[in-house]
Amino acid sequence: MLSGIDYFVVVMYLVGIMVLGLYFARFVRSADDFFLCGRSLPFWAVGMSIVATDISAMDFVGVSGQSYRFGISVGNFDWLGSVPAMLLAAFIFIPYFWKAGLYTIPEYLGRRYNDGVRAVASMTWIVFFAVDLGVLFWAAAVMFKSIMGWPHWFSIGATAIVIGLYTFFGGLTAVVMTDVVQMIIMFVGGATVVVVGLYHAGGWGGLTDKIAAMGEAYQNHFELIQPADTQTPFPWTGILFGLTLVMSNAYMIGNQAIVQRCLATKSVWHAKASMLCGAFFKMFIPMLVMFPGLIAVAMYPGMEDGDHAFPTLVKSLLPPGLRGLLFAGFLAGLMSTIDSILNSTATLWTKDVYERFLKKDASKRHYMIVGQLATVVLLIFGVITSPLSKQFPGIYVAIQTFLSFFQGPAFSVLLLGMFWSRATQWGGLVGLVGGISTSVLLYIFKDRLFTIEDPFLYVSWWSFVAGVLLNMVVSLATRPHPPGRLAGLVYGLPKTPQSSCEAAVC
Amino acid sequence: MLNFDWLQWVSLTMAKAVFLALFVVSGLLVLMIPKASILEGVENPRWWHNLKLWALGVLAIIFTIYFIF
Repeated sequence: MLSGIDYFVVVMYLVGIMVLGLYFARFVRSADDFFLCGRSLPFWAVGMSIVATDISAMDFVGVSGQSYRFGISVGNFDWLGSVPAMLLAAFIFIPYFWKAGLYTIPEYLGRRYNDGVRAVASMTWIVFFAVDLGVLFWAAAVMFKSIMGWPHWFSIGATAIVIGLYTFFGGLTAVVMTDVVQMIIMFVGGATVVVVGLYHAGGWGGLTDKIAAMGEAYQNHFELIQPADTQTPFPWTGILFGLTLVMSNAYMIGNQAIVQRCLATKSVWHAKASMLCGAFFKMFIPMLVMFPGLIAVAMYPGMEDGDHAFPTLVKSLLPPGLRGLLFAGFLAGLMSTIDSILNSTATLWTKDVYERFLKKDASKRHYMIVGQLATVVLLIFGVITSPLSKQFPGIYVAIQTFLSFFQGPAFSVLLLGMFWSRATQWGGLVGLVGGISTSVLLYIFKDRLFTIEDPFLYVSWWSFVAGVLLNMVVSLATRPHPPGRLAGLVYGLPKTPQSSCEAAVC
Repeated sequence: MLNFDWLQWVSLTMAKAVFLALFVVSGLLVLMIPKASILEGVENPRWWHNLKLWALGVLAIIFTIYFIF
């Protein structure tokens, strides 16, 4: 339980973030301001915001739980699962998107393929983000319950109200600038647990010695690369094919919540630099979220549920004051992810669905209000669906499972669209829908098809392959787009006046 | 096949080398990017605007981590 000083730290944090977020409401006058900050952001703010968006309650609770069970191989998600993809995004994809003046990734797919692909991609992201919100709220409730003893529904409601307010009024500017502060608090809070935990575990040497002495079951706890036939969810084959080649690229290049803030930077150099800045900060994330699980292995072996490792450490190791700081860090991680998802989903709904299919040519203020209303609806949906997370054994695995359903197919469509001029609108549509269907089928029959505990990495890879093959076969069987239609949309093709975002074909 | 059983003969050392090679190849590709593209959008270029240096720095760190663990 928290003491008086802890409550003071947490309340100061909440009030500070609220004031900061609402301060930026004064700069929001139109849809451009609400969704893209008027394209005025510097690289460092966006880089820090990418990291803050990426790290969440899921990481503090879920990754430490996974590292408790499986060791440091879970760190692959933040190292291999980020850096190569962020380099690819920085130097190839982001400059293209930025120069095209996009709001959303499905908007690119709509220009490259057709409105059908755009609608499917956008609706899929909207559904994923909405489900993701529920998972995040549940993670928050687990933490609140463990540390403060609050009932689940009270925790979820309180979190939703605080985040909803500044996201509603401040738009992406408030989201990004609060993310900057939240990332700093997260790093300080997370580092506090690691430093205090390592001290109690006897330092790094003491930690490794204790775990090594625990027997054969723990012999791979300090190996990043796991055998192909491991029973953990992280065989090196899955890490290479599923994570490095597909999921990480799909996440860093195709994830609206990540890419949108890069599109809001003030120049194309800032857009590229923001990704590289984010990649640098991402290197430190595993140390903050993975080490607590390892420390818990040494200090509290035999826990039934690894997801309790992090809360147990906080409760037992941190003194009053520091516990509040950590809790603020935890809240920061949670809030920075949820506010980003809210704003990005509202952008997807407003730009890809509402503006495109329901009401064209309205004023920018009208679209801003639509975005704000979408924020409220999403918030309510996330709260209502949060108990679904209970159905899944590990919180982190649950979100990876959701991701693996469509990350592979979505990336296949994006990749072929960018690099293969022969890809057609029908190829893109069939590739996307067929790939997602493949994911669902693979997951339904996973017990018969796969040997590892949770094959989300393999599902991601094979659904990507299915998406590529279907796209190629159907594209070759259908009429190609005229070259002028693709200029500026496919890598290597010349940029003609028809290719700019103002062109009628766009 | 779906489980990549056909790659089980690959040793962990060789698998680790694959990942290290990935970082090296990424670094080489970064070096091949034209300077004009790197500095696009910068009015008065300074040495720290060279994003190749940023990318190589990040790759050096991750290479070290995977080399050790």
